[in-house]
Amino acid sequence: MRTKEKIIKVPFIGDLIYSSGHTIVGILLGIFTGGLLIAISGVNPFLAYASMFRGAFNSLQSFSNVLVRSSPLLLGGIGVAIGIKSGVWNTGIEGYMYIGAIGATIVAIPELGLPPIIHILLCFIVAMLFAGLWGAIPGYLRAYKGVNEVTATIMLSYVAIYFTNWIVSGSPLAQEGAYFPMSLPFAKSSLLSILMKGTSLHPGPFIGLLMCIIFHIILKYTPFGFRTRMLGHNPFAAQYAGINSKKQIVITMVIGAMLGGLGGAIEVLGLKHRLYMEFVTGVGYESVAVALVAGGEPIGVMLSALFFSILKVGGATMSIETGVSSSMASIIIALCVLFVIGVGVADSKRLKKRDEKDPGKKTLSFKMEEAVK
Amino acid sequence: MTYEIILDWLQASLRWSAPLIICAMGEIFAERSGIINMGIEGIMLCGALCGVAVSYYAQSQAVALFACAILGLVLGLIVAFLTVSRRTNQVVTGLMINLLAIGATNVIFSVLTVMRHKRATTFGALFPESMHRIPLVGPVLFAQPFTTWIAIFIAFIASFVLYKTRWGLNVRAVGDNPQATATAGLSVIKLKYQTLILSSIAASVAGGILTLASSGYFAAGGMTGGRGFIVLAAVVVGGWDPMRTMFACMLFGATDAAQLRLQTTESIIPTQFLQMLPYVITVVALTIMVKRSRVPKTWGAAYDGRRS
Repeated sequence: MRTKEKIIKVPFIGDLIYSSGHTIVGILLGIFTGGLLIAISGVNPFLAYASMFRGAFNSLQSFSNVLVRSSPLLLGGIGVAIGIKSGVWNTGIEGYMYIGAIGATIVAIPELGLPPIIHILLCFIVAMLFAGLWGAIPGYLRAYKGVNEVTATIMLSYVAIYFTNWIVSGSPLAQEGAYFPMSLPFAKSSLLSILMKGTSLHPGPFIGLLMCIIFHIILKYTPFGFRTRMLGHNPFAAQYAGINSKKQIVITMVIGAMLGGLGGAIEVLGLKHRLYMEFVTGVGYESVAVALVAGGEPIGVMLSALFFSILKVGGATMSIETGVSSSMASIIIALCVLFVIGVGVADSKRLKKRDEKDPGKKTLSFKMEEAVK
Repeated sequence: MTYEIILDWLQASLRWSAPLIICAMGEIFAERSGIINMGIEGIMLCGALCGVAVSYYAQSQAVALFACAILGLVLGLIVAFLTVSRRTNQVVTGLMINLLAIGATNVIFSVLTVMRHKRATTFGALFPESMHRIPLVGPVLFAQPFTTWIAIFIAFIASFVLYKTRWGLNVRAVGDNPQATATAGLSVIKLKYQTLILSSIAASVAGGILTLASSGYFAAGGMTGGRGFIVLAAVVVGGWDPMRTMFACMLFGATDAAQLRLQTTESIIPTQFLQMLPYVITVVALTIMVKRSRVPKTWGAAYDGRRS
């Protein structure tokens, strides 16, 4: 107990070590349990994890794959994290990505004769506009009608998935006579450039990282960020302080949706170069996982998105080399989160006992209790 | 011709709503005790695979449903341990159970390659063949697989248990005022464990029925198609009341059956828009009904024995 007190007294880093302690323990437990499952399926877990590690770090190309795969997780992760900060569960990231990608597709297909940078920005703006409007629906329903946002966003995600399926198979934007449903190819000027020869590394992951930093600053140092955090910590206090909580909920959901839409646009403009069916399947749940392991902090999203993307890219290699299905990656992701939250609550219990002894330090446990609510 | 289509639609509506009703009845108890079991979507998915796989290997549907129930019990214990004992956030826990279920069913289904092209035998009808020929009610009601009848029966049982038994009263009390229930000498934790396990068993069995009462196939990667969340919506639309929830489930089942029927007919509406229909109807129904429902007072909040 004494040493823990000492750690906390180290400014910034001590706090960080202590607050991320349960996250690391949870992740280790998740990896351990994943290993057990791999062992049950008849493969040596050490070999499996070794091939996973090789798959992610073997060459420059594989590491650039990790970065590319992390781009939707980064943007989706911050989208969910902002929601968590203001106390709403913005679980419809997958839907926002599809709608954003549709928006980008509409502008990306015609040759507009614009310089690439303008064309790409136009695609981004339209994507964010589309996704923002889409996100405003569950935001409005949650804030003004009291509809549970988890159900609403997930239902709307399904609507978005089927809408995308129509766009690529029945609409005027679809490629006719394709062996697989897809849209028409995008104009050259709209495609994101490849940053490194021989890889598929596009600027997307760096846009994602930049967004993490921007939103860290917004949440920490602007009045808007303060209002968001206040609403998440204590909605009643926020109400008394004169914050229009309904408007704030809609705005945070729309921002989350816009980030998701941007993620979808980057995915099609940078990687796919056409719109396909179900091109980000599973990212909806994974974004929630990313945001949770990060504890709702944009800076933490950077690390957790990279970690999950290593698991996903490595999982594909693991599946080729050892025969363990690549879906094992999503099992490990889910296990990590379940352990992180399971361990985390116990941690906050201990902290609360400390708080009861010493009311002056009532910061950490309060933060953690409210972060998961 | 149209008469036959309508009969077929009514028949399918009831058939599709059976798993929704069973799942919803379990969920009502969990939510009445104050816990949202968001994991029912994933548990349903696991049940769907379990049902098909066990009925393929054991060649018995009773064994398959029993296996589903056992699986639901295990998953329910996990959910209950996390949300009740560890007091984790119920939304997160549920969503991660869903992610876990998608991954796990994909992994297991990729191993069970023999099952890919085999169709499990589906449930038979409860009433004899001769009764199916009675006009109107014959094809709509008596040709139903027996699970439909069980589902409706379960809804009545649930209503009775919730309102007329001591245990049902305890469950309702726990959801509205856990502290008072604890003061009255009941174990809040135990009751919440019971309702959560009940709802997980119901979801798992519903998943088994989903495949065994209709197609007999399992499709990897989200074959439940958000039905768990539709059930969550149905429970809210039905105001946490078994009878009203049953009708909400029937409405959603009917929408599902209608879009499947309309897809096969040559209509000008693209199939994708028809496929959206159940989800759109769910959101619309939620929006209309949500204000009229009386929410259990501690809905979604973790119970902390020391804080009162």
